[in-house]
Amino acid sequence: MNRSWWYRFSFMLFLFVISVMAVIPTAFNFNESSSFPVKSKINLGLDLQGGLYMVLGIDFKKVYKDEVKNYMKKIEATLSDEGVMSSIGRLNATEAEDPRHSIIISNPADIPKAKEIIKEFFSFPLRLTGEKGSEIELALGREFKKDIEDNAVKKSIEVIRNRIDEFGVTEPEIVSQGSDRVVIQLPGVKDIERAKELIGKTAKLEFKMVNDDINPTLLNKWMTESKAAGIEYVRGQAFSVYVDKMNELARKDIPNGFELVFQKSLNKATNEVEQLTPFVVESGTNLTGDSLQDATVRVDQQNNQPYVSITFKAQGAKIFEKLTGDNVGKRMAIILDGNVYSAPVIQTKIGGGNAQITLGAGNYNDLLKEARDLSLVLRAGALPVELEFQEQRIVGPSLGKDSIERSRLAGIIGAFIVFLFILFYYKVSGVLAITTLAMNVLFVLACLVGLEATLTLPGIAGIALTVGMAIDANIIIYERIKEELAFGTPVREAVETGFSKAFWTILDANLTTAVAGLMLLNFGTGPIRGFAVTLIIGIICTVYTAYFVGKIFFEYYMDKTHGKSISI
Amino acid sequence: MKKYNINFVSKFPISIIVSLVLVLGSLTLFLTKGLNYGVDFKGGAEIQVKFESKIDMGMLRSQLKDNFDSSSLQSIGDTDSNEFLIKVSGSEKNLNKVTDQITKMLTAKFAANNPDIQKTDIVGPKAGAELRKSGFQALIWALLMIMIYIALRFDYKYSPGAIVALIHDVVIIVGIFIVFDKEFSLQIVGALLAVIGYSVNDTVVVFDRVREHEEKDVKRSLKDQINSALNETLSRTILTSITTLIVAVIMFSMGGGVIHDFFFAISLGVVIGTYSSLFVAAPTIMFFDKFKGAKA
Repeated sequence: MNRSWWYRFSFMLFLFVISVMAVIPTAFNFNESSSFPVKSKINLGLDLQGGLYMVLGIDFKKVYKDEVKNYMKKIEATLSDEGVMSSIGRLNATEAEDPRHSIIISNPADIPKAKEIIKEFFSFPLRLTGEKGSEIELALGREFKKDIEDNAVKKSIEVIRNRIDEFGVTEPEIVSQGSDRVVIQLPGVKDIERAKELIGKTAKLEFKMVNDDINPTLLNKWMTESKAAGIEYVRGQAFSVYVDKMNELARKDIPNGFELVFQKSLNKATNEVEQLTPFVVESGTNLTGDSLQDATVRVDQQNNQPYVSITFKAQGAKIFEKLTGDNVGKRMAIILDGNVYSAPVIQTKIGGGNAQITLGAGNYNDLLKEARDLSLVLRAGALPVELEFQEQRIVGPSLGKDSIERSRLAGIIGAFIVFLFILFYYKVSGVLAITTLAMNVLFVLACLVGLEATLTLPGIAGIALTVGMAIDANIIIYERIKEELAFGTPVREAVETGFSKAFWTILDANLTTAVAGLMLLNFGTGPIRGFAVTLIIGIICTVYTAYFVGKIFFEYYMDKTHGKSISI
Repeated sequence: MKKYNINFVSKFPISIIVSLVLVLGSLTLFLTKGLNYGVDFKGGAEIQVKFESKIDMGMLRSQLKDNFDSSSLQSIGDTDSNEFLIKVSGSEKNLNKVTDQITKMLTAKFAANNPDIQKTDIVGPKAGAELRKSGFQALIWALLMIMIYIALRFDYKYSPGAIVALIHDVVIIVGIFIVFDKEFSLQIVGALLAVIGYSVNDTVVVFDRVREHEEKDVKRSLKDQINSALNETLSRTILTSITTLIVAVIMFSMGGGVIHDFFFAISLGVVIGTYSSLFVAAPTIMFFDKFKGAKA
């Protein structure tokens, strides 16, 4: 054997030993504490070990609407500080991607001054889009909208991660997909219902003053009118649809800058909406969950009721103090995710930034759980935007186990039959082919360990396909050698020509498949990517083992027989 | 070694007609009957449940029908495996609720049969549209990149041959899926891509040989060169198809419900892909070679 052969042989041996080392912990299922130098094992995908996969989407149209409404409140306050009296006008959302909102200047002579002030203080978040009579129409600034989009996904991921960390899941994966989606993978999570609940809770907390000038009979009138008009909350339908319709109906009676919201009373047994209590509240607010410092669960000693105690940050505390001071005797609605939680009457000005959210009547344990969830989501941070479930896949642990066992058995049987076939067809060379194939599978598995890639069911399919293609590479070489032998070429030379002529065929054939694999990796989602990863790894290993390792074996074989005979 | 001497080129008129009929038939089915899209693409929910013992399927069906009118029931796997797929259509928020209720119903009403919820998939209409887009994009880009690669490594006249063969394979598999009313899911897109990988591999091996002949003997007609190339690579083509088919068919029949359809598509792909490498890719080269000659 020449020196080059020994080099190549040592390299192969080196790879072989490393691969065996890498695969051992997986093959014998070592745990973390074993003394074996390699610790990492092949990660099993969600489909193989069970768990939760979710795609959440962000509805930016709604985000824009809320933002523009909240800014009107701020503008009104700023204008009044500068001595310009104004009132909040109407929202115009005909262009859902770019909603407009008007503000009414009490004295039309102030309009130029008002525009100056808005330009000075709000040039980034808002832009002027029109002017009619005493009304100025505004929309969100273009750069500001981009900022919202960029931050929404980032902040959402952060918040969800905090919540999941408190929930305790090993190796959660929370990533963004595109500009408006978040993908969450929780492998092996047991209590899927709880996990879903926690993630889904948007917990957008707002404090809004109730307009008590509205006559209660008017509220009742809307409720009866709506029933007559066929507007009703149907189970399973989005609640916001109902709220939007009700606002449409009551619009003529509600003063500008206010809107209709509801308190839902649920039947504790069936968990269905029993009663809806309407409130007319301010449509924008400058006191939201962002101003919160902390939220904890407390139990009221007197009536043994759990409640959530909240503490505001310095800025929020100031706003809260002013708000409560200005509105003693009025009701303040605590609104969570668009629904009124409670609307206590402000007894006195509250300084120091402490407040309580009571939870209504109910079973102690249910209330305690509700209080805990609420404090958790408030503490871990409210989601900056509402997320909607777009896709959800739950895999039970038994399905994966069953699939692994079945596909492993099928794989072994398939490989066995193919090996027999090859052995029968190619004899001694067949043994060499089988050896390279076995090494190929070993290398693929070792790569998966090394890259910390996740093995999914389609991934197993990818390995099976790789074995098929690896056999093909062997067949291409062997058939070429046979062809050369048929021309009467001496054995040693035939082997050499066979390998060299087959090289470009194998490379071209595998590279074209690899090109397809790369496209899958780039454009595919979830299961397809798992398949693409093993396919690409498989192709690299195939070219190495089938061609280079095969050549090492054949050179040795030729050396043993002195190039006089070959069994192929 | 066995020498083949089959006049492939003389069979091309027949193969072209056969392929045209199959492709046009598949396209017609696609346009009239349409694909049976799974939840991945059309949105909706799917609950896969397995009972430990035999259940009264009629009772399950009526339970579903009475309480959840948008649901459908389908038994999967072997008849004695007691595995069912419950499908629900509707909006995102609704789906979440309905799947919860169905899960609760199953555990309550069929407690004696030990139901095991193996899998729940909920795909909203938005996500469905997104998945449809990304799956389609992956297919188109894969075809395009393969075409560019072959044009660079071989010659421009080879590219259309490979692509026509690949489209031929994909369209016919889709047609067969429609005929058998099999569900078209994200996994099947993956399988189609694997078929593309396999079929192009097959085609490239043949092209490689044609190219070799072209370089060796410029005077021979392309027709003769293609014939020799196909005959010389025939033993390899058959061997590879057999071994790959063995693996695919065993995975198909024994691999379990989840990968059943995946390997159904792969098995079809191996057979059709082999056929197209022999009888579709080569005539397309001849066609484009003539076209090229006529223009020059």
